Amino acid sequence: MNLSRPHLILAVILTFLLTTIPYDTFAQTEISGTVTQKNGTPIEGANVYLDGTYDGGSTNAQGQFSFSTGEEGVQTLIVSYVTYEEFMMAADVTQLNGLTVTLREDVNSLDAVVLSAGTFEAGDNSKVSVLKPLDVVTTASALGDFVGALQTLPGTTTVAEDGRLFVRGGDAGETQIFIDGIRVFTPYTPSTNNIPTRGRYSPFLFDGITFSTGGYSAEYGQALSSVLLLNTIDEPTQEKTDIAIMSVGGSIGNTQKWEKSSLSFNTSYINLAPYIAAFPDRNDWEKPFQAFAGETVFRRKFDKGLFKMYAAFDATNFELTQEDINIPEGVNFKLNNKNLYTNTSYSGTLGDSWKIQAGGSFTHSNNKVGFLDNEIDNIENSAHFKLKFRKRFSNRVKLNFGAEQFLTDFNESFDNPFIDTSIDSYGFNNNITAVFSEADLIFSRKFAMKVGLRAEHSQLFDKFTISPRASVAYKTGKGSQVSLAYGDFYQQPLNDILKFQQDLDPQKTQHYILNYQYSKNNRIFRAEAYRKEYKSLVMFDTQDPFFDSNFTNDGDGYAQGLDFFFRDNESIKNVDYWISYSYLDSERKYRNYPISTTPSFANSHNLSVVGKWFITDWKSQVGVSYQYGSGRAFTNPNDQGFLQDKTKGFNSVSFNWAYLISQQKILYFSVNNAFGFNNINGYQYANTPNTMGNFNRRALRPAADQFFFVGFFWTISEDGTDNQLDTL
Amino acid sequence: MKQLFIIAITLISFTGFSQSKFEKGMTKGFELWQEGKQWEAANLFERISQAEPDNWLPPFYVAQINVLYSFNEKDETKLTAQLKKAQDFINDAKAISKDNAEILVIQAQLYTAWIVFDGAKYGMTYSQKVAQLYSEAHKLDPSNPRVAFGKVEWDMGTARFFGQDTSSFCEDLKKAAALYETYEPKGPFHPKGGGDYAKQALAENCGE
Repeated sequence: MNLSRPHLILAVILTFLLTTIPYDTFAQTEISGTVTQKNGTPIEGANVYLDGTYDGGSTNAQGQFSFSTGEEGVQTLIVSYVTYEEFMMAADVTQLNGLTVTLREDVNSLDAVVLSAGTFEAGDNSKVSVLKPLDVVTTASALGDFVGALQTLPGTTTVAEDGRLFVRGGDAGETQIFIDGIRVFTPYTPSTNNIPTRGRYSPFLFDGITFSTGGYSAEYGQALSSVLLLNTIDEPTQEKTDIAIMSVGGSIGNTQKWEKSSLSFNTSYINLAPYIAAFPDRNDWEKPFQAFAGETVFRRKFDKGLFKMYAAFDATNFELTQEDINIPEGVNFKLNNKNLYTNTSYSGTLGDSWKIQAGGSFTHSNNKVGFLDNEIDNIENSAHFKLKFRKRFSNRVKLNFGAEQFLTDFNESFDNPFIDTSIDSYGFNNNITAVFSEADLIFSRKFAMKVGLRAEHSQLFDKFTISPRASVAYKTGKGSQVSLAYGDFYQQPLNDILKFQQDLDPQKTQHYILNYQYSKNNRIFRAEAYRKEYKSLVMFDTQDPFFDSNFTNDGDGYAQGLDFFFRDNESIKNVDYWISYSYLDSERKYRNYPISTTPSFANSHNLSVVGKWFITDWKSQVGVSYQYGSGRAFTNPNDQGFLQDKTKGFNSVSFNWAYLISQQKILYFSVNNAFGFNNINGYQYANTPNTMGNFNRRALRPAADQFFFVGFFWTISEDGTDNQLDTL
Repeated sequence: MKQLFIIAITLISFTGFSQSKFEKGMTKGFELWQEGKQWEAANLFERISQAEPDNWLPPFYVAQINVLYSFNEKDETKLTAQLKKAQDFINDAKAISKDNAEILVIQAQLYTAWIVFDGAKYGMTYSQKVAQLYSEAHKLDPSNPRVAFGKVEWDMGTARFFGQDTSSFCEDLKKAAALYETYEPKGPFHPKGGGDYAKQALAENCGE
């Protein structure tokens, strides 16, 4: 061999390479062991490896793994498998053999227990979701009102002439509504006697709805019975224009998207004049209902958070004359309402384990009401500020805490040319400060607990209250669980009382809830038993609250009952249905009640059956819903007693039909109370007896027995796939 | 002669040596996958992604396996776990490689898996997102067959759902399928699959 120098070097390098490569494979260390669950069952398919290297393997059916590594010294061994927490262990590679690794279950996985007592959620990935986002708009009786859809859930009472939520023996004022965690002070469009109101905000802005019928989190206060939490959409999917032409009006909306932000607006105009001309109702409309509404949402994403601003303005007016047994010419009522609501929120992360949520809302509401010769004009300015932090100590321990401030300034003036009142304007300032703290403790996939405390100070009453809240949940089997909840809840009397009397105490309820839930294969069954105690309810000694009423906090009461819910999306192809039944037993002494009795807004039995059928060949979805509410109490002055008689039960069957003309054009029909049941909401009695000594009466019937709706919805978007199914 | 021999050895050993750990790992992953051991392959890709934090391909394939094997999964717990895992790895891949049409396609397929599982629950929200993702991917890489085929197939499925005539889509579908023949993967181990499925889908939908 006669190698030149460069060749020699090359040969040396080669020799080195050729010897080091095999050397690498010879100096291997064996890593081995077994991966099991806590109870010893082996886990197959777990990924076992040394962090930052290529060395690793998967476990076999016996949970065993073994692989070799060229790494030396201390290395980190990682074992991971879905639905289990990742296992990590640092040791010298020579120690990593014959290991036994026990993986801890990931308590956040889908089959983990959830605190479900009292709570219904509508959302995409919610574990306790009983309603789907689309249900709000495809439930036949709901007419696109989210409140209407919630009235098909158990725990609610059918009070057809009102339209608001009445939960478990509570009146409508006992439910509070929050948008992105911030209070809505005036959630309903104002209305008058016997004309049901609607939720003010259009359902298409929200993608998550949580409805709690009791036992809710310490984060929420000033609600005796229930909270409804609405979350606005974080990010719209695309730029589009929506046009709706309806038998009652029209609307137009547009969404624009940029890289980090988006802006949506929607305006609508509703006028019932043509409808009332075609289908006259029992009222004599001087000026049929008309409403103009505009809403806008601006969203901007930051590196670590999301900012949202929501603003809504609406103006409503109508004038009508309603029949009255004591006033032969009828009662003239006119209303003019202007409402502005803005809500600004920021949610984001602060470092690894902290989250922050901050927000505020401002409401300006002006009502001008005229009835008979009375002119009432009120202005409410309210604000809510909230700051909340969430600290995650581990997957198993989380802490929420925060503070909030409510401010209300309410002023009203009263004028009647025939009455000389010494006071013609009155009002109040109501400031409430609250702090809350709540811990989530997840002991295992089977057992979880939430404990919280809320403290509130009312400046108006100079009263301090403390409300403990707690719930526990235990998984009893695959798909089934039991949960328990307890809580104290305080709420101030509403504006109709506070405007005349501010020297009062907060009203109080205590909730005890036992819940059982079973879900399997797109079927869910829930049963809930509860007991609710009312204390310190406001009472007064006149027909209605007024200047010269004497107010006390001497009222009390209770509500107890059973709620059942069953939903099945599986048994019949293309058919989805649910059944809700509620039994309620409630008595209370409050307002001007001489005795403790069942109030007129509470009844014993409520049943809802809702079904939806998608018919592919017809390109249609057909929906039907049936609602039954047993009779409600009224006072019959011809007999001894108070609220001693009951109306007959309420029945209504509603149908809807959505027909997809094309992907972006939808035709929609609906009819409420299709069979025209004669429903009676109550009776009005004459103030004075007739010649026979009897008090005459008049049945309070809905303004119209039936309601028809036709709409055409058209979406224009770049890729032509979006439609307005979700706005119906 | 001797020199030639040495040069030959050098070349051979250099090619042998240049097959890096990454290439060996990826090759092994695809072998496992072909043998039907997709979960072992996914585990291996997951290990590679931990060791190569700047390469989008390993997390991409972890996501792809988890998404593909979710389409026939009926157990909601398992499906949720798989798709959650896939989403985590899509997020990783997206953080490494921005404006990547292949990752957008996987994201679209992930949403499609949810829609297939429960259309009433997920259809409304996710179908808009899927359409949006395909149109974004199309802007980035119009000649990519997975983008083009996925987009046409999705539009066709939507039209069928709404009872519209789908024959007009066949021409586009055929064109998209033809892209599989011409499209050059952008590098070693870059996605190149889907051609067989495209032929099958074309035959089923358009009888070709």
